[in-house]
Amino acid sequence: MNRIELTRIPFIKNALKNRYPQLAVFIVMLIGYIFAILAGLIGTPVGSHNFSIVFVWIAWWAILILVAVPFFGRGWCAVCPIPLPGEWLQRGAVLSPPDKKPKWLNLRVPKMFRNIWLQNISFLLLALFSSVLLTTPNITGIVLAAMLFSAIGLSTVFERRAFCRYLCPVGGFIGLYSQTAPIELRIKDKQVCVTCEGKPCYNGSSVGYGCPWDVFPGGLTKNTYCGLCMECIRTCPHDNIAVNLRPFSADLTKPSTRMDEAFKAFIMLGSAIIYAGVLLGPWGAFKDAAYNVGSSSWFIYAIVFLAIIFVVLPGLFTLGIVDTKNALPLKQRFASLSTALIPLGLMFWVAFSLSFVLTNASYIIAALSDPLGLGWNLFGTANATWQPMLTSMLAPAQALALVGGLIWSARTAQKAAGEVKVSSIPVIVYCFFATCFMLWLLL
Amino acid sequence: MRYRFSLLLLVMAGLVVAFAPLPVPTIAPQERTFEIDAHQFAYSPSDLHVNPGDTINIHLTSTDVVHGLYVDGYDISVEADPGQSATLTFVADKPGSFRFRCNITCGAMHPFMIGKLTVGNNSWLYRSIGLSILAAISFFPLSSFSDRKTKEERIK
Amino acid sequence: MKRPELISRFLIVTGILLAVGAPLFFWARTPLIHARMAEDGGWNPDVIQAEVGEPLHLKITSDDVVHGFAVGQMEMQSVDILPGKVTEVTLNFDKPGIYTFFCTRWCGLNHWRMRGTIEVSGSPLDPEPATVPLYVSLDLDLDAPHDASAVPNGKPSATSGQLLETNLPIDQSAEYYRSHSPYEVFEGLQNTSLTEAQRWDAVAYFWQSNTTPESLANGRQLYAENCAACHGENGAGDGVFADDLAAAGESSLQTMEGAMDMAMQTPVDFTNPQRMLGASPALLQGKILRGGMGTGMPMWGSIFTEDQIWDLIAYIYSFQFEYQH
Repeated sequence: MNRIELTRIPFIKNALKNRYPQLAVFIVMLIGYIFAILAGLIGTPVGSHNFSIVFVWIAWWAILILVAVPFFGRGWCAVCPIPLPGEWLQRGAVLSPPDKKPKWLNLRVPKMFRNIWLQNISFLLLALFSSVLLTTPNITGIVLAAMLFSAIGLSTVFERRAFCRYLCPVGGFIGLYSQTAPIELRIKDKQVCVTCEGKPCYNGSSVGYGCPWDVFPGGLTKNTYCGLCMECIRTCPHDNIAVNLRPFSADLTKPSTRMDEAFKAFIMLGSAIIYAGVLLGPWGAFKDAAYNVGSSSWFIYAIVFLAIIFVVLPGLFTLGIVDTKNALPLKQRFASLSTALIPLGLMFWVAFSLSFVLTNASYIIAALSDPLGLGWNLFGTANATWQPMLTSMLAPAQALALVGGLIWSARTAQKAAGEVKVSSIPVIVYCFFATCFMLWLLL
Repeated sequence: MRYRFSLLLLVMAGLVVAFAPLPVPTIAPQERTFEIDAHQFAYSPSDLHVNPGDTINIHLTSTDVVHGLYVDGYDISVEADPGQSATLTFVADKPGSFRFRCNITCGAMHPFMIGKLTVGNNSWLYRSIGLSILAAISFFPLSSFSDRKTKEERIK
Repeated sequence: MKRPELISRFLIVTGILLAVGAPLFFWARTPLIHARMAEDGGWNPDVIQAEVGEPLHLKITSDDVVHGFAVGQMEMQSVDILPGKVTEVTLNFDKPGIYTFFCTRWCGLNHWRMRGTIEVSGSPLDPEPATVPLYVSLDLDLDAPHDASAVPNGKPSATSGQLLETNLPIDQSAEYYRSHSPYEVFEGLQNTSLTEAQRWDAVAYFWQSNTTPESLANGRQLYAENCAACHGENGAGDGVFADDLAAAGESSLQTMEGAMDMAMQTPVDFTNPQRMLGASPALLQGKILRGGMGTGMPMWGSIFTEDQIWDLIAYIYSFQFEYQH
C-alpha cells in the first residue's frame, strides 16, 4: 500500500533520533502529571475548578480522543510520563547507555498475563467508578498516583514497561484504536532484520535500550503494541526503522484473532454507549446510580454495565454471525469480525467526547489561572465564565462522526468478512443498529 | 464505470437526505409553560417538546441548592434559589434538538445535570438515520458480491 | 557519569521538587474558610477570632455548591461564595462580642444550620444595656395556642378600611399595634356601628398604616431569601423543603419518644387566618427570634436586626390583608 516515509525528512528523523527533544517533553509532562496529582489531593474539591479534573478529563481527554488517537495512534504513549520514573530506576540512568547488568529483578511477565485482559479489567474498574472519578479531584489524584506507583513497582519486578504493556487502563484502548491511525512505525526491509546480528532493537546496545514494549520491530504488522517510544530508531544499526504516513485503518485489513482484543472492542463500544446515555442523557436516576458508589442502585448499574458489555453486545453479535455456514470456528469468526467495531467504537467515543469537551472546554481557561482553586490569578483569566463552545456545530459534527463511523466500520466489516470468508451483512446490520441507538442518545 | 455511476448516485442521494428542505408543517405558534423542578442532578420534566415559533416559559424551581438552566444553541439561562423560583421566557425560533444544562455549579455531578429540548422535529437525528440506512444498504450489494466470490472459491 | 546525564537528572529532580513543593508552599500559606453543606460539615473553621479596630480579612471558598456569607446583626451586604472560587471579605468590628456568620444562599434542607461565630475581643468592654425584646417584656408564651376565634370571609382590604370613619377607637401607638393580634383589635371594635367585614377592613388599614412600602419591600426580600424555601413563595407553608421537613419529623428520634412538638414539622401556613389573625407582632417577633426549638424553624435572633424582624413581620401579615400598592 502507498506509504510516505516521514523519517526521510531529515528534520523529523533527527528530532526522533535525538534523545533530548523527547526528554524535554518528558520532563514537562512529568511535572504536569505530578502537579495534577497534587492538585487533586490539596486543591479545591470542586472538580470544574481543579487542575486535576480540568486538565486530565477535559484537556487531556480532548486531545487524546479527538486528535492523538485518531491521527497519531499511540502518539500519546510516546510522551506519556507514567512509565518514566520506573523506567529510569530500572535502567539506573536517564540518558546514559545501559550497562549490561540488569537492575532490580528484571523478571519476565508470566505467560498468562501476556495479553490485554488485565488492561480490559483495569479499564472496566475505572469505568464502573467513572462518575466519581471524573468529578472528584481527590479520587483523580489518587488514581493518577496509583498508576505512577504501580508503573514504578512493576518496573522494579518485571523487565521493560510491564505496566504500559499489560496493565495501563488507557493503553489498552489506545492500542486498539491506534490501528486506525494514519501513522505507523515499521521496518523498511525485512531482509535486513533477518540477517541483523544481535537484534539491538530488541536487546539493546551501547546507543540505546531494547524495545521497552517487548516488541521485535521486525515482526510489526500492526500498531497495537508499538508504543512509538522511538528507541528502535536509535538502536537500529542499519537505519531500517521508518515512521510512515499511511492510509487510515490500514491495520484493520488483517483482522485480529485474539479474544482479548475482540472483547476490548466490545468494552469500548459498550462504554461509549453507556456513557452517552448515563452522563449526557436527561435521566437523573441513571446519574444517581452511577455516582453513588456502594449503594444498591450502583450495584445494579454495575451489573447492567457489565452485562451490556459482556452479554448483550457480544451476544447479539454472535447471534448475527452464528448461522453462517462456515468451516471456520465461531471463535475465530467472532474475533475477526469484531474488527469492524474498532472504527465504530472510536467514532462513538469521538461523538460522545465532542459534546462533553465543547461544553466544558471553557473551564480550562479559568483553571489555568487558578489551578488549585486558591484564589490565584496567574494569567488574569481566573474569572473566565463557563461558556459552551460551538453548540450549533455540535449536532452536525456528531452526526458526521457517527455516520462516518458506520461507513468506516462497514468497509472494515467487508474486509474482515472477506478474510474469514463469510457475509458481512450481519455485522453491517449490527453496526447500523448500534449507530442508530447512539444517534438517538446523542442527538 | 458502473461502480463510479452508482457511487455518484449514492452521494447524490446522501446529499438529498442530508440537506433537502423538509416541508414545514405550519402549526400556529402558541405559548407554553413548563414547571421544571431542578434538584441534584436532574430536571423533572427533563424532556421538552415544542413547536418552532412557540413562546416558552420555563418556570424553574430549585428544590435543594441553587441551580441554573442554560439552553444550548439559544445561549440563554436562568438561575433559581430554593424558595425563589425564576422564569425564563424565550421564543423557540431555532428548530432542532438542544440540551439544556445546569450552569451553576451544584455539586459533583453538576456537569451532567442535563435535560433535552426538542423544537419541532429532531431533524439531525432523522437525517442521520436516513444517511445510515443509505450507507448500510449501499454496502449490501458489494457484500453479496463478495459472498458470491467466496462461494465460487468454495466451489473451486 | 557524563555531563548530559547529570544535567538531565538535576533538571528532573528539580522539576519534581518544584511541582510538589511550590503548590504545597502556597497552599499552606493560603488559609481558606471552607463552606460545605451543613450535612458535610458546614463552615470550616466555624469559630474565627477577631479584634475590635483590627480589620478582619477572610478568604472564603465553597467546596460543593453555591453558598453565601454574611454576619448577623451587622450592616453588610451578603456575598456569594461560589464553588472552587475564592471570595475575599474584610470586616470591621467596633464592639466586642460574639457575632454569628451564616450562609445566605439556600443549600439544602439544613442550610440554616450552616452558621459559625466570630469572637471579637477588645475594648470597649462595657456592654450597652441589651434591650429586652417586646415578647419578653410582655411575658408571652410563644408555644401557647393563639388561634383567632373568628375570621373574615375574604381578605380584609386596607383600601376599604381607609374609607371608613377616621376616629375609630384604636390606640394608634406602635406599642398597641405590636402587642395586639389583628383579632384582638377586631374585638376592640365591637362597640362601633361597623359590620364585621368593615371591622376587618379597619384592622387591615390599621396594619398597613403601621408599616411603609419600604418596610414591606425589605420584608419581602428577607422573606424570599430566608423563609420562602420552607414557608412557600406565597406563604402557604408549601415551600420546596416542606415535604422534607415533614418526612424528617416522622423519622426523627423525638417523635419516637412521643414529644411531637420537638420534632421537625411542616412549616406554618401564613395564609391560614385562624393562626395569623390570632398572632400579635410581638408573638411573631418571639417566634422568629427564638426559632422553633427543634421543629426545623431556625433561630434568627443572632442574625436579623430588630428593624429587619419588624419589616419581615409586616410582610408576613400581607398574606392576610389586601394592602394598597
